[in-house]
Amino acid sequence: MKPPILITILTTVMAGTMIVLLSSHWLLIWIGFEMNMLAVIPILMKKFNPRAMEASTKYFLTQATASMLLMMGVTINLLYSGQWAISKISNPAASTMMTIALTMKLGLSPFHFWVPEVTQGISLLSGMILLTWQKIAPMSVLYQISPSINTNLMMLMALTSVLIGGWGGLNQTQLRKIMAYSSIAHMGWMTAIIIYSPTMMFLNLSLYIFMTLSTFMLFMLSTSTTTLSLSHTWNKVPLIASTILTLMLSLGGLPPLSGFIPKWMIIQELTKNDMIIIPTLMAITALLNLYFYMRLTYSTALTMFPSANNMKMKWQFEHTKKTTLLPPLIIISTMLLPITPMMSILD
Amino acid sequence: MNMFASCMITALILLTLPIIMTSTKFYKDKLYPYYVKTATSYAFMISMIPAMMFIYSGQEMVISNWHWMTIQTMKLSMSFKLDYFSMIFVPVALFVTWSIMEFSMWYMHSDPYINRFFKYLLMFLITMMILVTANNMFQLFIGWEGVGIMSFLLIGWWYGRTDANTAALQAILYNRIGDVGFIMAMAWFLLYLNAWDLQQIFMSTNDNLNLPLLGLLLAATGKSAQFGLHPWLPSAMEGPTPVSALLHSSTMVVAGVFLLIRFHPLMEQNLTIQTLTLCLGAVTTLFTAICALTQNDIKKIVAFSTSSQLGLMIVTIGINQPYLAFLHICTHAFFKAMLFMCSGSVIHSLNDEQDIRKMGGLFKALPFTTTSLIIGSLALTGMPFLTGFYSKDLIIETANTSNTNAWALLITLVATSMTAAYSTRILFFALLGQPRFNPMISINENNPHLINSIKRLLLGSVFAGYIISHSITPTTVPQMTMPHHLKMTALAVTILGFILALELNLTMQGLKLNRSSHHFKFSNLLGYYPTIMHRLTPKMSLSMSQKSASMLLDHIWLESALPKSISFFQMKSSTLISNQKGLIKLYFLSFMITMALSLLILNYHV
Repeated sequence: MKPPILITILTTVMAGTMIVLLSSHWLLIWIGFEMNMLAVIPILMKKFNPRAMEASTKYFLTQATASMLLMMGVTINLLYSGQWAISKISNPAASTMMTIALTMKLGLSPFHFWVPEVTQGISLLSGMILLTWQKIAPMSVLYQISPSINTNLMMLMALTSVLIGGWGGLNQTQLRKIMAYSSIAHMGWMTAIIIYSPTMMFLNLSLYIFMTLSTFMLFMLSTSTTTLSLSHTWNKVPLIASTILTLMLSLGGLPPLSGFIPKWMIIQELTKNDMIIIPTLMAITALLNLYFYMRLTYSTALTMFPSANNMKMKWQFEHTKKTTLLPPLIIISTMLLPITPMMSILD
Repeated sequence: MNMFASCMITALILLTLPIIMTSTKFYKDKLYPYYVKTATSYAFMISMIPAMMFIYSGQEMVISNWHWMTIQTMKLSMSFKLDYFSMIFVPVALFVTWSIMEFSMWYMHSDPYINRFFKYLLMFLITMMILVTANNMFQLFIGWEGVGIMSFLLIGWWYGRTDANTAALQAILYNRIGDVGFIMAMAWFLLYLNAWDLQQIFMSTNDNLNLPLLGLLLAATGKSAQFGLHPWLPSAMEGPTPVSALLHSSTMVVAGVFLLIRFHPLMEQNLTIQTLTLCLGAVTTLFTAICALTQNDIKKIVAFSTSSQLGLMIVTIGINQPYLAFLHICTHAFFKAMLFMCSGSVIHSLNDEQDIRKMGGLFKALPFTTTSLIIGSLALTGMPFLTGFYSKDLIIETANTSNTNAWALLITLVATSMTAAYSTRILFFALLGQPRFNPMISINENNPHLINSIKRLLLGSVFAGYIISHSITPTTVPQMTMPHHLKMTALAVTILGFILALELNLTMQGLKLNRSSHHFKFSNLLGYYPTIMHRLTPKMSLSMSQKSASMLLDHIWLESALPKSISFFQMKSSTLISNQKGLIKLYFLSFMITMALSLLILNYHV
């Protein structure tokens, strides 16, 4: 894509998210969402193949519906509270509609059907942007309306998301679909805690974004989109093989890596609010997630997967892909656990 | 100071001398059997002296020799109780053993290990003596176990034969089950009475003695082959004939009855146990008599006859007549040992043929054996004024006139008539008719060992009943008046049994047996008891254990219940969830339904 156009599009994307984050007028929030969506579509369509077209169409349809629903909720809220400012939403219908709209944008169950298909159809870089940047805006709005979210609805959606994220990822070999289901599961964890302690949601979101960014960058380094091609990493860049090991385990939420921090905090906050069964179920289902990450690490890092003989020489080449900020990202994604006591400053 | 104690101890020590000589060159001598036999005969004669003293002056004695150990508050010592029972039994047992040893000098003549055989017989005799003269339960148990072990060694004498090995093992196992009862009684006595001495036990005023008496009854069931633990006795016929004659007819199998007789002061009070013994003995008598009717092995018929007589002894104890039971033990030893020896003579003469269907016509060929067989069978069935009459007829009379279980009584009478029936069967098939054996056998009974031993027991079978019953002190008052028909019952049923059996045998001689009836099969297969107990029970327990351990635990709980079911479930769910077909319309439909539902249901303020 030509540089000026790329700059415009990227700026619009960022501007849209910023508008959503910074505004206190419902209309502007809706405008921000629309800007974001419309500008992201060309990014999704970077490659001109039917797959990408189909993916972007699905994305557009879902997000547009969600924005409309959000507007509907805003209107009902306007009817009942008489003002456009974001505050506690007194009308349950409005809050339900807004919640549903935002969760549809996030890709939470039962609105998760589009996430694997869209993520699979686009390139790795677009996928990265889709799964990380696009989650910030809806999450921030959820944060702002969190006191009035219907608990039952949210917990139900969160629990089913975690389950679906776990079970769906078991049957995949395509890396992008794996990351899509992983994002569904992580969204589930985040929305579970949003009613009780929104700060933890942000903690989880930030750590999730770091981890997903690192993962996608590592994938992009070896341009691997399937488990098979990922398992040849030891031929190309052996260092990445070990990095993928720790990163995947961190995504799975294994102590002593930093992926454990959000899970730990969330379970703690949930039990503080007298909920025992839900965090137990979520923790047990996180094992499913861990399993398919382990499968990736098994073929990539723990075994030297068989490959053709000329592939074995590829490590001698220098890689030319840009890996901006990869080392700090990896360190943040894996070694942040000792800092957890300092997280109390987030309160 | 009289010679009572010294004679008795001398007799006992005399018996142990050949055992001590085992490690010397004497053991390998050809004359060792003769030495053992002579030692036994001298011991018999010496033990007659205390027996005479007892009969003359009623002198009893308890010799407590050596303080063995004291366990907390209980003192164990080696003590011999020489009272009515042991004083009469020891000479009888020694006499019978003497004759059997002389017989086995002829029977086991060609056996290369004959010295060991005699050593085993002697060890058995010593342990039997220990059992009989024991004054405390510990010593009794030593004798008890000793006779069990010697029985095992002697039954499996020809250990090359698988059947002999299994029979020996069977004997040990069934006896062991009885030992459980014995040990239970010992433990009870230890706990509640703090004593194992018979004198102390008989002094107890405890009301409820059910448990130890049950234990003793179980021990008697095991050792004396009562119904339930009886299959080992016919199987024990795998041993040589002298072993069958000594152990499994006269001495070892009566140990159980002897135990119950020893504890008769306790059993006098307890009516429950008496009823139990009565019914158990009655069932045993009848069942084994039925089984004896269709057996074809001559030794097995005599074995079942032994079992039936043991049942009769237990019945006697059940009607509270321990002295009569003891009398029957002593008289039974004579003629049963002689019956076994005669069958041994027949078997050896026919070149080791034991099947009565292949014998016959020995009436003229073995006159002495024939005579003793007939006299022994008559004594067994209770022919008036032979040995068996003095005990058996008295028992039947007492049972008829006592206040007892009518069913048990009836069964005992039926079994008595069956005794006559199978005795007739033996005589008929073995002795009468035309010979059915290989004509190229030389039949010879001229050996003095054989003749002398059977002759001694023959004299005993004829006269011993008279001598013993007129020498012993009267203990219970016999019933003097009874109706005619009651007095004649035993004789009548016996004669009935004889005539019936004779008629049937004569009639069936020319006929061919087409198909066995159910009753025949029941009798021939020993009431299906060994088939069920030896095969069905182990099969059920083994298959249950296999199912529970392997199938249930390993396959199901450890393998399928959690791991396989969890993996199956996860795989199914993952395929279910990731099976998206990409139909956007359906996705949006699901979104709409979710939204509608949530707006309808969750329309309340949280």
